Amino acid sequence: MDQSVIVFCYRKIIDANSSSPWEKLVFDDSYLEFRMQFQNFNKERKCFTFAELIRQQADAERLHFLVSPSVSGYIQQLRGQIPDVVDVLGKQFLNFSRYRFELINSDIRHAQGHQVAINFYSSSMNWYHTIGNTLLLSEDSAESTDEDSAIQTYLYQLQPFVSIHTLKLNP
Amino acid sequence: MERKNFLRSLMVGAVSSTVIWEACKKDTADVVSTETASGSGGGSGSSTCTVTPTETEGPFPTKIPSGYVRSDITDGRSGYKMTAKLTIANVNNNCAALTGVIVDVWHCDAEGNYSEYGGSGMQSTNYQSVHFLRGRQVTDANGLVTFTSIFPGWYNGRATHIHVHVYNAGGTSLKVTQIAFPEGSGSAVAIVNGYNKGMSGYTYNANDNVFSDDTTKLELATVTGSIAAGFDLSIRINVAG
Repeated sequence: MDQSVIVFCYRKIIDANSSSPWEKLVFDDSYLEFRMQFQNFNKERKCFTFAELIRQQADAERLHFLVSPSVSGYIQQLRGQIPDVVDVLGKQFLNFSRYRFELINSDIRHAQGHQVAINFYSSSMNWYHTIGNTLLLSEDSAESTDEDSAIQTYLYQLQPFVSIHTLKLNP
Repeated sequence: MERKNFLRSLMVGAVSSTVIWEACKKDTADVVSTETASGSGGGSGSSTCTVTPTETEGPFPTKIPSGYVRSDITDGRSGYKMTAKLTIANVNNNCAALTGVIVDVWHCDAEGNYSEYGGSGMQSTNYQSVHFLRGRQVTDANGLVTFTSIFPGWYNGRATHIHVHVYNAGGTSLKVTQIAFPEGSGSAVAIVNGYNKGMSGYTYNANDNVFSDDTTKLELATVTGSIAAGFDLSIRINVAG
């Protein structure tokens, strides 16, 4: 059967408007870590925002990496399941083992200026057909469990901040 | 009428403050580009027409310390074991021990490399492994923090060193400094001999652009031990707490 193998990327934005307990913990702890790490670069204390700092010194791009341990424990709480992304049944179905933390904006003067993203990269999924506006998918590792060699599939409608990150045609 | 005027003045205030905020924000947008998004992501909170999650709520998340908080920062990097004991003292209180302050340390591995991104932009979940030789502890009642690590290697242009950042409990910087190592015959630096690299081209403290002006040796640690038994580093760092 013709199929492509795809990897989804979900870019979850977390900012001062985020409301779930998990998002608030990520927001608060990444903001504290940002303010702490910021001081390693802002030695002359002239900058207030992440944008100002990376304009002054490109090396400050390392802050993405340096702030990321503040959220690594929260990522583990997700137990390998990409949040927010659900199939047409309303259930989470994408697993991840890779992610990347990203500072979007931040301001040491007020938390309202703090905005981060966590990019979740799904495990490989088989994409068989597009039915209406949904994708017919199965896990790349899925194996049939019955005599008809039927495998578990999912119907998924692409949503904002979800993209197809990689594609492998007709393996 | 008075109420109406009052409301109008409020509105003017609100608009002008928005303009100021937007003006600051524009700078941000220029550099970080169009990636700035509003709202709380593409999940169920977005206004677009997608299926709402319909399943049992997961476990209530609990607060977890930063991944930096650990005493052993080795992360499997090979090298000679080193135990570093840092005592933080307060110059504003006759150099009494400073309790409850946050101490970050980081240093390079045996080859002289710091932990960095792998380069692909796609990061595996095991963040500890890419944050090797970085750690955080909070000082105890004696102002002491202890880290287990490896003896640092060296790289061009710098003497052997450990970076230290001391913060108060609220995360405000009290001190950014570096720890220097004793040199000369019988010193740990001489014994380790730059691991596989040797000492050809090594920058000694006297020529190091960070340590050369430390004439009172305040940044110089005491380092004892051996390759077999491991090395013990100790230093007192004075900050204005």
